Amino acid sequence: MEVVTSAALSASQKGKLIAAGYTSIASFSSIPPFNLALELKISETEALEILKSVSNGSMLEATSSSHTIVNGAQSAWDMLQEEEVLVRITTSCADLDHILGGGISCKEVTEIGGVPGIGKTQLGIQLAVNVQIPYDYGGLGGKAIYIDTEGSFMVERALQIAEACSDDMAEYSRMYRKGSHASEVKRQPKDFLENIFYFRVCTYTEQIALINYLEKFITEHKDVKVVIVDSITFHFRQDFDDMASRTRVLGGMALKLMKLARKFGVAVVLLNQVTTKYSDGSFHLALALGDSWSHSSTNRIILHWNGNERYAYIDKSPSLRSASAPYSVTANGIRNSGSNTKRTKIM
Amino acid sequence: MNPQNLLIRPPQTQFCTLGCPILDKALGGGIPTNSITELVSESGCGKTQLSLQLLFTSQLPTTHNGLNGSSLYLYTEFPFPYRRFTQLVKSFQSTHPILFESARDPQDYIYMREVHDAHQLFDILSHLSFCLENKATKLDVKMIVIDSIAALFRSEFENSARDLKKRCDLFFRISACLKGIAKRFGVAVVVTNQVVDLMDDGGTSGVRVGNIEWLWSSGRRVCPALGLSWANCVNTRLFLSMCEVVEGVGEGLGDDGFVRRGKRRELHVVFAPHLPYSCCDYVIRKEGVSGVER
Repeated sequence: MEVVTSAALSASQKGKLIAAGYTSIASFSSIPPFNLALELKISETEALEILKSVSNGSMLEATSSSHTIVNGAQSAWDMLQEEEVLVRITTSCADLDHILGGGISCKEVTEIGGVPGIGKTQLGIQLAVNVQIPYDYGGLGGKAIYIDTEGSFMVERALQIAEACSDDMAEYSRMYRKGSHASEVKRQPKDFLENIFYFRVCTYTEQIALINYLEKFITEHKDVKVVIVDSITFHFRQDFDDMASRTRVLGGMALKLMKLARKFGVAVVLLNQVTTKYSDGSFHLALALGDSWSHSSTNRIILHWNGNERYAYIDKSPSLRSASAPYSVTANGIRNSGSNTKRTKIM
Repeated sequence: MNPQNLLIRPPQTQFCTLGCPILDKALGGGIPTNSITELVSESGCGKTQLSLQLLFTSQLPTTHNGLNGSSLYLYTEFPFPYRRFTQLVKSFQSTHPILFESARDPQDYIYMREVHDAHQLFDILSHLSFCLENKATKLDVKMIVIDSIAALFRSEFENSARDLKKRCDLFFRISACLKGIAKRFGVAVVVTNQVVDLMDDGGTSGVRVGNIEWLWSSGRRVCPALGLSWANCVNTRLFLSMCEVVEGVGEGLGDDGFVRRGKRRELHVVFAPHLPYSCCDYVIRKEGVSGVER
């Protein structure tokens, strides 16, 4: 086994690696640069350099290495490590974050479905804003891609949510880091809007083309950390007489999105509609696009009404247990439900 | 393919006034462009009134919160309410003289067309988008009203799984077509829809959609026609309700006197991407529909 000290790295880099607990090269060579950067507290480019020089070295002795049978293979242990450092985007609703283990996870595809008016678009906008919360405030400091297929994205509403978010950040810095950052300029709500790449697509061909193009776009904009499709469904509920071809097209799209999530460590959020489904002699509600589509996402969250409260329910997830939590849609965006939350009217 | 910069899009979404400041306030400025707004109610609640009114207000200059364009009225329920229309022309003459300035006649800027089925609607819409694209036609439609969408689907389809699927497919095609036009040309689209009485048959028709658990009108529990799939096709849904109320007890005959009854009309926001739930009282007068402060 090759040890870190023998690698062609600078002394300080070796020091940082060992301090973080990586003694052998194999122990960190399969970690994505972003996570490595986060762990070693270095820039992403530096992490990438480390990984490159290490992989070049190990390539030479690839024949003798027992570790990488297939290039890029990971052991379950590595994956567990990776999952622990997995970054998540907060939903701004503490209860919802709690059942989600901290928020919507990067590197995964999360599908969110519900009836019209339940707050899917609101949650989408909230995530597009929250992904931009800087590192210092416990966020990701990333950018968002918002793909609008339904025309429900309203700039005014995004601005409102951004305003509330920037107020919260100002409040946070007042409370927890008195003095040190007192001179820090308050982040303007307009800056939030500038970091949302908004695409409005009007047909399903446009939608497929855009999703194919995303890989190139994200390569050019590495700081994109979330892709929101609102909704994935709309254009696929028309013009498809042949359901088999629809399933194929959808399957291809789902693969592309999953690849994006893994490759760039972005969170992919797909909003879906609800439809009625006939089975066992009665009608009940189910997410649209059919059974084979339901395998396309890693996590599935269903939003529903329970009495007069909105609830989110984890329908499917490989790592989270199924649970539900109430949330509410306020003027400021998605927030905790309950009487202690002040509800104010918009406008 | 390039993303739009949200800061240099037309500054903000344009809204079309309803011709009454109270109603505008309840709807955050009026009817938004680039999206579909649905008006749902039973008959006699003022859907048609309100949509006729919009044909005029959309012609107002933007300084008066209009859209400064012409309007298209597609009606599926016959006959066209001419009497009411001429009445409105008269009342707008006194309330909005700007529309009539320098011998302008707002009626010249309202295009009307009857529609009998969904396929005809597609023909009209594709012709419309061709005309809007071709600047030589000088057609400048900024408001499209379809009154009502439900009537297009009343007779043609059976209750079989195959027909339901076909119907659903049409909903999404109509919606995509309207949204496409709305987005490309900055048009506000308003569709009206009827309600059906809710039968508690254990099906999913009673599923709660939007801010109001149960929609009530005239003492009956109702739900919008065309079901859940159509609800996915509109951006904003407004519900007009009506209920009979006792306005006061008059002096007079016998022991109990007589009870003066009136109608209380309310406009509810069922769902909207930019608005929370809100509710506003309104009245229908000769001059048109207008809101009242509670």
